[in-house]
Amino acid sequence: MNFTELLPAAPEILLLGLICVVLVADLFISDENRIITFWLSIAALFCTGWVTIATQSAAPFTMFSGSYISDSLSHVLKVTAIGIVALVFMYSRDYLRQNNLFKGEFFILGLFGLLGMMVMISANSLLTMYLGLEILSLSLYAMVAFDRDSAEASEAAMKYFVLGAIASGTLLYGMSWVYGLTGSLQFHEIAVAINDPEINGLPLWFGIAFMVVGISFKFGAVPFHMWLPDVYQGARSAVTLYIASAPKLAALALILRILVDGLGSLHEVWQGMILVVAVLSIIIGNVVAIAQTNIKRMLAYSTIAHVGFILIAIFCGTEQGYEAALFYTLTYVVMAAGTFGMIILLSRQGFEAENLEDFKGLSSRSPWFALMMLFFMFGLAGVPPWIGFLAKLNAIAAVLDAGYQALAVLMVLASVVGAFYYLRVIKFVYFDESTDKTALPVALDTKLVLSLNGVALLALGLMPGWLLALCAIVI
Amino acid sequence: MFQTLLFYVFSTVLIAAALGVIFSRNPVHSVMFLVLAFFNSAVLWLLAEAEFLAIVMVLVYVGAVMVLFIFVVMMLDINIEEVSGSLTRYAPLGLIISAIMVFELMQIIWLRGSERFVLEGFASMPEGYSNTKALGAILYTEHVYAFELAAVLLLLAIVAAITLTMRKRPGLKVQDINQQVSVRREDRVRMVKMDAEERQ
Amino acid sequence: MIGLQHYLTLSAILFSLSVAGIFINRRNLILLLMCIELMLLSVNFNFVAFSRYLGDETGQVFVFFILTVAAAEAAIGLAILVVLFRNRRSINVQELDSMKG
Repeated sequence: MNFTELLPAAPEILLLGLICVVLVADLFISDENRIITFWLSIAALFCTGWVTIATQSAAPFTMFSGSYISDSLSHVLKVTAIGIVALVFMYSRDYLRQNNLFKGEFFILGLFGLLGMMVMISANSLLTMYLGLEILSLSLYAMVAFDRDSAEASEAAMKYFVLGAIASGTLLYGMSWVYGLTGSLQFHEIAVAINDPEINGLPLWFGIAFMVVGISFKFGAVPFHMWLPDVYQGARSAVTLYIASAPKLAALALILRILVDGLGSLHEVWQGMILVVAVLSIIIGNVVAIAQTNIKRMLAYSTIAHVGFILIAIFCGTEQGYEAALFYTLTYVVMAAGTFGMIILLSRQGFEAENLEDFKGLSSRSPWFALMMLFFMFGLAGVPPWIGFLAKLNAIAAVLDAGYQALAVLMVLASVVGAFYYLRVIKFVYFDESTDKTALPVALDTKLVLSLNGVALLALGLMPGWLLALCAIVI
Repeated sequence: MFQTLLFYVFSTVLIAAALGVIFSRNPVHSVMFLVLAFFNSAVLWLLAEAEFLAIVMVLVYVGAVMVLFIFVVMMLDINIEEVSGSLTRYAPLGLIISAIMVFELMQIIWLRGSERFVLEGFASMPEGYSNTKALGAILYTEHVYAFELAAVLLLLAIVAAITLTMRKRPGLKVQDINQQVSVRREDRVRMVKMDAEERQ
Repeated sequence: MIGLQHYLTLSAILFSLSVAGIFINRRNLILLLMCIELMLLSVNFNFVAFSRYLGDETGQVFVFFILTVAAAEAAIGLAILVVLFRNRRSINVQELDSMKG
């Protein structure tokens, strides 16, 4: 075997090597110099990102006997995931320092999670998809329990672990049926095998049903969403930021690779299941979010609603729908990273900005970040011209073109309901008096990155052409 | 015929052991039932001529994972009286759901499946077939990527488990080997020069 | 003769038992972890049976990896359990209710 043959998998190989370097280097760094681990991690992300861009090829390329695929979808998702993880690390740095959690393991587990995401994004067989999913999930479980002295964090981690493991088990049970009936683990071979009318029968549909349940669990869609609010609330804000952003890209890859690449021609079979899950997510996510007083919990339910939008776009089963889902996910992770970045910005030593009241009077404390909060909220609510509006519009257009008018009406109504609780945050920020006058204790570079993140939402909304074109090329 | 009998005996014990895991009041008994279940599964896999996995099952599962379980059960010192108690209100729901699932799966396996699957037993393996050799041949070639990923996963598990449970408490009495080895004679023995005393 | 159906049936029963166990068991987290192990065992049975039926070793390779992952998962799950027990002095499922909304 020639080493140049491994080149398409260079991002994963490099990232793994760099994780090992950071892991060993961290051992020799004293607590005062822990910042070196942080910069090493950022450098590792930068190198991996650069290699991902440098090694991309136009044509899809499979390797390792067809268990790994490198195509334009994988490049876009990988580069985004790397960028988002870098943002997460930047935002978390000061928060972790102030809360005595500034340990190398946070960054190492975060990098391992990114490796899992990249494996999932490039998976071309059920086996590699499963292994990638487990690498990601195990890092996330450990990160949630990272604050070992917090009862809430360990409780959230336990819930996340148990439900995540059940979801993996269900997904695997479905995979075993699909494997047994099609005789293959590779998505392309499965796609060929299911055209045989003898294979396409009730047993296969049963297997698909189990897989859809497992996928919905991982996405956090209703009725499999029980873990999501508790995990968002119980985990420390830096970990919530991580969980809420980048893994959504991997979840999208999970659904696109398995259901679209592998089982795309059976789209009538899984369509109904996805529809039920998606509609329930949109309704319950938006309605329950209104009643929340804890902002992390509110954003958890809003995540469920956004997941519903992504799933509905996939439900359409058209190229336009898949493009809309990709566009929605790419923009959503940027908005989610920024929003949780704001929560971190307001938190400081021994104080978590968890309640909606903590955002009161932000405009008098820091007019600029109040404006940023407005940007993020408008983005999530889907107010034009912010990018969130276009994402929602694309999804609704895909649904209309596929001929589901009633569904489109439901989506519009849900967006209006959703706008209410986002705007309530804006009301707290601008129209309420602050009880707390302290300045925001965050370093300049973090502030700069967060501002860029916020401005990007508006800039993308004004100039979305290239991103739309990119999504069209990728799908 | 003998194999059929063996299958039924071991699968009955397996199901009984699984019931034991669920309904035992004492967690230690549950772990023991789980060990029994794993042993029986290994035997059933042997009957299906999956020898390598049967051996791995006993070595890895019974030998390592279950010991870990026992270890944690012992370490946590759970109050058994507190743990035992009546079943919860979810119990009937759980039983109904699982009964429906068994029923549906039976339907699929026996009625719908019979159109798909040949009802006779497994085809016999060719002469001189070695399960371990066959697995080894594809594990390190076709599935080398998955193999490397499994290695990553184990490394991650080590890092995560140590992160979560290793503690350095103040006041803990641990040996510092470095300090022990680098000790010098002067630190331990003090030579005192004193005049000889007169005999009394 | 014992064939695919018998193994699939056994696996279906095990899977349902593990699901029932998860529902029934609101007392003890360790039992929940054990039910998850049972669930993975039933998946393994399916893979072994299908692999033997198809005469294709890939299914058995998958089982090999499931065993590896399950071991790693058990290690992390039990580590989280120990951390939880240190903080709460209890592993009762019903007491995991500090967050509501």
